[in-house]
Amino acid sequence: MNVSNLSISEISNLYKNKELKPSEVYEEVFTNASLSESIIHAHLKLFQDEATEASKLSDERYEKGNPLSDIDGIPIAIKDNINLKNHETTCSSKMLSNYVSPYDATVIKKLRNNGVIFTGKTNLDEFAMGSSTENSAFGPTKNPWNPEHVPGGSSGGSAAVVSVGSAVASLGSDTGGSIRQPASFCGVVGFKPTYGTVSRYGLVAFASSLDQIGPITNSVEDAKILYNSIKGHDPLDATSIKESLVEIPTDKNAKVGVVKELMEEGISDESRKEVEKTIKLLKENGNKVVEVSLPLTKMALSIYYLIAPAECSANLSRFDGVRYGIREAGSTSYEMMENTRAEGFGEEVKKRILLGTYALSAGYYDAYYGQALKARSAITKDFENIFKEVDYLISPTTPTPAFKFGEKTENPLEMYMSDLCTIPANLAGIPAISIPTGLSKQDMPLSIQLMSPARTDSSLLEFSESIEKLLSFNQRTSLLEDMK
Amino acid sequence: MNMVPTIGIETHVELNTNSKMFCNCAVVETENPNESLCPTCLGLPGALPVPNLKAIESITMLALSANCSITKNGMFHRKNYFYPDLPKNYQISQFDLPVGVNGSLEIILNETKETVEIERVHMEEDTGKSVHKGSGRIDSATSTLLDFNRSGVPLVEIVTKPVIKSSKEAVSYIEELRQLVIDLKISEGKLEKGNLRFDANISVAKESDNELGVKVEIKNMNSLRSLEKAIDYEIKRQTKLIESNEVIIQETRHWDEDKEVTSSMRSKEGSADYRYFSDPDLPNMILTDEFIDNIKKTIPTLPSQKRDKLSETGLSNSESNYLSKSEEWIYNLFLETQKLTNDTKSTFNLITGELQGQLRKAGMEKLPEWLTSEKLSEIIKMINENKISFTSGKEILTNLIQNEMSPSKYAEDNNLIQDNDSDEIAKIVKNVIDSNKEVVERVKDGEEKLVGFLVGQIIKSSKGNINPSIAKDLLLKEL
Repeated sequence: MNVSNLSISEISNLYKNKELKPSEVYEEVFTNASLSESIIHAHLKLFQDEATEASKLSDERYEKGNPLSDIDGIPIAIKDNINLKNHETTCSSKMLSNYVSPYDATVIKKLRNNGVIFTGKTNLDEFAMGSSTENSAFGPTKNPWNPEHVPGGSSGGSAAVVSVGSAVASLGSDTGGSIRQPASFCGVVGFKPTYGTVSRYGLVAFASSLDQIGPITNSVEDAKILYNSIKGHDPLDATSIKESLVEIPTDKNAKVGVVKELMEEGISDESRKEVEKTIKLLKENGNKVVEVSLPLTKMALSIYYLIAPAECSANLSRFDGVRYGIREAGSTSYEMMENTRAEGFGEEVKKRILLGTYALSAGYYDAYYGQALKARSAITKDFENIFKEVDYLISPTTPTPAFKFGEKTENPLEMYMSDLCTIPANLAGIPAISIPTGLSKQDMPLSIQLMSPARTDSSLLEFSESIEKLLSFNQRTSLLEDMK
Repeated sequence: MNMVPTIGIETHVELNTNSKMFCNCAVVETENPNESLCPTCLGLPGALPVPNLKAIESITMLALSANCSITKNGMFHRKNYFYPDLPKNYQISQFDLPVGVNGSLEIILNETKETVEIERVHMEEDTGKSVHKGSGRIDSATSTLLDFNRSGVPLVEIVTKPVIKSSKEAVSYIEELRQLVIDLKISEGKLEKGNLRFDANISVAKESDNELGVKVEIKNMNSLRSLEKAIDYEIKRQTKLIESNEVIIQETRHWDEDKEVTSSMRSKEGSADYRYFSDPDLPNMILTDEFIDNIKKTIPTLPSQKRDKLSETGLSNSESNYLSKSEEWIYNLFLETQKLTNDTKSTFNLITGELQGQLRKAGMEKLPEWLTSEKLSEIIKMINENKISFTSGKEILTNLIQNEMSPSKYAEDNNLIQDNDSDEIAKIVKNVIDSNKEVVERVKDGEEKLVGFLVGQIIKSSKGNINPSIAKDLLLKEL
């Protein structure tokens, strides 16, 4: 049986009907991982023994007819910036290369209680800063569709493992597109929930006001199942919201806006055509589709590159060699901290810490960070207003399909541009999803992005499911078949 | 040339909440380092802060009691600086939207009521503790150990405006603030435990100058005594510099407890840029009218209100101040007893002198439950009515502290009732005069101090049952 082509609910049903065992599924994904890792390097660590053990315990639960949940026995990979007790949480940084976490993130606790099998920790751009995983201190991850191409980032490892079938699903984190962009590049579904609906407790912070954990899966339905098992108010996260979700139309009455500014310059023809293709299908389905304008989205990148570095400059201060992580000797405590940070952080991380420190400095705060905060509120307002007219917004997820290694490392601005379409949703705190739609001329995955008002996550997922059906794109990478 | 010192004081008050400011760790008092820790107060990657509601209630109560305007839409900021005992290398504090602003505290300086204006009252978290080995200070230490038990303990910072004029006024202000947090029950208020820690900003200027002089910050004053001494030292130091036309450097100075001098710690010229920005991990601190009203309802009688009430009995400002800073039961006992005796002076003296002294001697912290204001007033009344001597009153009190009994019955049973019958006393006086003729002559010649000796003889022969003042009056009349 090829598990890679099964959805979570299909696997779950087979478990319940005793036609398939969690240990068998785990064995298959582990085999896939063993085969593919040498080429794509998506995992930083595989939990073979622990996961095998967990899968056998899950076998017993199904045997006795009392699984813990509908995702009991589902093998899931975790981005290595989410804390899993007694395992390394390296954030793909030399700084934390020896750091073992003493606690579980809230999302991990929830999944653990639901009987999930954790397959391992996945690669990322150092501290989730990057769009290609080229910034990982432990080497980049390759795109399973073509290893000459990047898998996207920062959750490149999490997207690649789902794409290649070495996990049924994975968790990533999204600060400016870090779930959606790699999902788009690897031809899988990536969902960034409304800010505050999934606890951040245990997610190593990059930019606290933007970070959000979300699922990367083979289908929208899987994303929905995983989202439902990780969401919910968490007393350990003060920014987690107590309000329940709200519903908006998900059938042919749903009105869709095409964001004009995200269809213009900087967007490749190939990416734009996928949106146009989807619009056509929607119209045929009876949905009303209109063009809308969000002029401030053009400023989103500039706003993001002030707010995110400013927050990260403080968030990453704690890595000083005093209490954990690597330590480089120095003749005073300050020299020790300086040497540790000089040695422990990579170039991109240092660049952003410097940028953020500058933006917050006395005399510059008002012009940079203060101004960015104001502009961010304005963007959020714009989204609120536009959502009075339409239920959903559609755009490409990324301006281009996955680019090649080294193609953008020389020009950081061009690299930053790959998050052009995803960043606005983080600034506004709204949910957004990337759905695969087809392949480029170079046989690399293409996608569209859908956004909806804050706290309409369930509706967005439901509507996305119907679009996924209309698109009926279900091609997978042939990497493993080619290897076998 | 007249010099005017101006002082501002920043005080950190450690709240007495059960748990820390942003996590569930217990606030502990222990010699064992690093006992009460969690990912949050240790700054582990991925851990998040959640505000302690009790602490926010406490600071709101303090800000209201210090007559501050309350910031209804406030927030927490991150104050960025690197230090080994600061786990996140930023401190969660408040910047431009503190809980309270523009308040004031009434203090008593000698017999005068003064007002110390408060600039702000804000909430923050404490740091860990660095234990420097080989030396008390980081510059000369051979190694440093870190204890994070204190990390994340809620602190309230109270900053005065630069309005304090002397070391005495500064001490008086701290005493007032200390009493306030004790009465509000939001802190233990123990200076020796570091529950209150203060820094002083001191500047001296010529009286003819219309602006403040260069500000120097003094740190490391651990007691009221060192606060007073450090301020006096610093005023003298700066005055000398100005008088000899030397420049005062804006800097932070360290109070050396042993040498009783201040010494330079660091210059403020390259002053730290804390890069304050609102903490994205914490939502805005919205204090609703309902929340504020509910806090107002729980505010107990404040020290200044106590003083107002005490002054109504006729006590002086300093006497009222003394009682307002005594324990609650002493304050209450005074008011109840005074009501019964209607004698403010005797009641104040007996309670603050004899009673407190005897309790201290007996090693008792509280009054035995039977020692009521009724019993105390009975003693005071007997003394006032000359039924017993003050000495007998003391004796009754000593016994009353140990055993439940009736003061008047005790006085009768132990022959303490004074003989106020003048004929009877007159006889004794006459006897004493007759048997001390030589002394009487000397008194008549002007040796007035011998009167006391004669009075003593009279009391002795009456076995202590004569009121000394009556005896004296009669004696002088006879002479």
